[in-house]
Amino acid sequence: MTVNTTGSAVDGRHFDVIIVGSGWAGSLLARHLGRQNWRVLVLEAGNGGTDTWEGFQDTVRTFSAAVVKASNAAYRTSAAAPFPDVLDLRSTGPSSYTTSGHFEQTGPFPYAGDYLRALGGTGMHWFGAVPRMFPEDFATRTNFGYGADWPVTAMDLERHVREAELLIGTAGDGAEQHRLGVVADPEYQYPMEEIPPSYLDARFHRLLDGRSVTDKIAESAYTLQVYGLPQARNSTPNPAWDDGSGNPYRPRGAVGMPNFGERCVGNASCTPICPVQAKSHPLRLQQDFTDSVRLATRCVVSRVLPGRGGTVRGVEFREYGDPATPSSRPYTVEADIVVLAAHSIENAVLLLASGMANSSGNVGRHLMDHPTLLAWAEMPANDPVGAFRGPGHTSGLECFRTGQGRRKRAPFRIEISNWGWGWSTGAPLSSVARMLGLGGDANGEVRHGGYFGPKLRRDLGQQVNRQIQLQIAMEQHAERNNRVTIDPARYRDGMGNPRPIIHYDLDHRVKDGLYAAREVSKAIFKLLNATDHTNLGVQDDGSHPLGYFTHTPGGDLPPQDLGYRGPGHAAGTHIMGTRKSTSVVDADQRTHDHPNLYAVGCGSMPSIGTSNPTLTMAALALRSAERIHRDLAELHQPVTVATSHLAGKRAAE
Amino acid sequence: MTDGTNAGAAAPNADTHLEAPSAPLERFVRLCVPLTGFSAFDLHGTGMAPLYLDTTRRELGEGHLENFLSRWEQAQAEGKGPAELPPTEREIARALVYLWYTGAWPRIAPAVHAELRRDRPNGESMASATSYPEGLVWRAFGGHPGGAKPPGFGTWSYPPPTLPTEAEIAESITQSAATATRPYDPTAYGALANLLDEESVPPHLLPGACVTRSVPPSAVPCAAPPPETGSGSPAKDVSER
Repeated sequence: MTVNTTGSAVDGRHFDVIIVGSGWAGSLLARHLGRQNWRVLVLEAGNGGTDTWEGFQDTVRTFSAAVVKASNAAYRTSAAAPFPDVLDLRSTGPSSYTTSGHFEQTGPFPYAGDYLRALGGTGMHWFGAVPRMFPEDFATRTNFGYGADWPVTAMDLERHVREAELLIGTAGDGAEQHRLGVVADPEYQYPMEEIPPSYLDARFHRLLDGRSVTDKIAESAYTLQVYGLPQARNSTPNPAWDDGSGNPYRPRGAVGMPNFGERCVGNASCTPICPVQAKSHPLRLQQDFTDSVRLATRCVVSRVLPGRGGTVRGVEFREYGDPATPSSRPYTVEADIVVLAAHSIENAVLLLASGMANSSGNVGRHLMDHPTLLAWAEMPANDPVGAFRGPGHTSGLECFRTGQGRRKRAPFRIEISNWGWGWSTGAPLSSVARMLGLGGDANGEVRHGGYFGPKLRRDLGQQVNRQIQLQIAMEQHAERNNRVTIDPARYRDGMGNPRPIIHYDLDHRVKDGLYAAREVSKAIFKLLNATDHTNLGVQDDGSHPLGYFTHTPGGDLPPQDLGYRGPGHAAGTHIMGTRKSTSVVDADQRTHDHPNLYAVGCGSMPSIGTSNPTLTMAALALRSAERIHRDLAELHQPVTVATSHLAGKRAAE
Repeated sequence: MTDGTNAGAAAPNADTHLEAPSAPLERFVRLCVPLTGFSAFDLHGTGMAPLYLDTTRRELGEGHLENFLSRWEQAQAEGKGPAELPPTEREIARALVYLWYTGAWPRIAPAVHAELRRDRPNGESMASATSYPEGLVWRAFGGHPGGAKPPGFGTWSYPPPTLPTEAEIAESITQSAATATRPYDPTAYGALANLLDEESVPPHLLPGACVTRSVPPSAVPCAAPPPETGSGSPAKDVSER
């Protein structure tokens, strides 16, 4: 049961822990610490209300009314706590773009992802993919000579990854994930059986398994194998799952409506919103909050307050009443420990605005995403696969994610999209317009011809049912110059808080990876006997897609039109490490500079491999929760304070 | 928008407007049938017909709408298809189909937008939050709108449904038009019910008493034990249906 409070009610009060942000990381931490009876205050900048049935239905209606079902389509814009939208970006030429909205962008390429400031954070619109990282992903510097190594290994995180998989509520095939090499235990059981693979997945299995594709960039042949994707989506409880209590696993459904949403029913709209809430979201965890946890929405933290001796004292925040206007009142609240869990980019902005944790100069640096190449094709007429059914993707091709090929190009994961050409072209709406000839030609004149009536209905149905798409996500490694900065003198939001300024670029490894991915997609389409319709270059109307470039990895390889989309897996803005000079936080996500300030989330990750980062982030949050509990326990034992590592650290400074 | 210059075009049909309140809507739907490839039954069945007529009226203005409808009526009388309409009407026809297929009024060709002198920006907008789930495009490929009308757990593992051919679609529209003019006749349904009198379904194919909700349908016993093999043809007939 979530106990809500307001900014004015907590003004001037003291808590054991303040958590900034109510997304996955913040909710996991608050739940964990609340159960240990620590007094926790969660401050959420965005709007609430979705924790009730009516409130959630309102977001579903907002989604329905949106013309473009982009990832933030279910949430109204906010003047008080603004957030970026993928629709903020526009291409203005072959290698130029403009942006409006929350971000300023200065890089040669746009950072093309978004996030959400609302109760539950970006965990409300995430897709729900929870693949584990490969053990080799944690040490790319050592293994392959690029990027940054983690101060922990996959084994160190294993226990917390398991706990995260349970708390998030994961459906997957443990044996298959063991064969893939991400789960060490061959007997591992997920709490729910895997989400049934789509019919399209079955076709891919049939046509691709065991076939070989040569990657000319990696100079290596790969044997294709389709693997299921572990997902945070309600499926059949796994009878083999056992937590020692003897109780079977019960899927958790909708908040505010008992016994609802305990199975995925195939709404096929995971991102932006699962109408039945079978896709897990942080509000589920918030239902578990004990009475010692207080949660306040519409409270935008503007600054972390410095305390004595390198510690922090609390936070300053502004509470607003109406998301449409930024009028607000300032308050302060204090705590023994402050945790920033506000999203990697917002965490960086907060640390920079507070002038904290930045002795390494690395706050905001090493911004990463998974630049994603889209390739789309049409299956043969006699092999319709039925697009736009089921979760967005239920299987993938994993062989390009690992191995020595990583020395030559960025590794990538191929998602098999169940939603046709939705992401790449805006199908099926765009398919209707194209078949009609709607919208005029490049000169704005009415097009000739076009299909109508029974022929339109028939041809459209046939065409859409044959649409397939590969979403190929590159690993992007940590680079100092991909960064978030602020310039409060020039760029502030309506409330007066600094807006993120982003400088983003793709290095040659990523470009080589995108090149290889495009080549691989061509080979796969050939094996499927599908007709490639991918057009990453000049469009019919003469425009260039966002993120367009041409590239050749060298040698005798011809230049190729390439492009990418941003799935918004922002990471790396306060990376963890053992050395204070090169990293911002330690292996427990505690800032090196301030013993009682934590920065948690994907921002702490020194590399993100080719796995959607939420699961790893959640595991890190659980790890931090244990450490924070220890810190607090020590702080609350006056006799031993002098010997505690906190006090020791303070004394050293 | 009521455009003064086109008010005269609407006047000749004023009588038909008076005949019945639903006449303009009936006409609008009837004229949309050959454009969309869905029967009047289907179009009315979306529940969106009045909204779409209003939306079109608002987007085009009463005069332009009337102009389009009468020209399209005339073209049909001359045996022409929508693709043979003059450019402006052709683009309006496309916009209408797009509205029915997606629930949204589209961005139309800038040339037509300028010619119509519309008083609103030329952009795409959803007719309403309820129109999106009623888009016909989803039905065209045998699917369901993303985020609405979910088909159930695991349905995505099955092959997609077979779609009707163009001839079958045309045939179903003709049939629907024929039955739609017939008034509702309860005896027709009575006659249908007579086909399945109580005796025609043998008890072993009917479910028995369902004691509690915790009994899954698969575990509900039959009303009677199955007969011995070859016991009678009526049972076989029904099971084959």
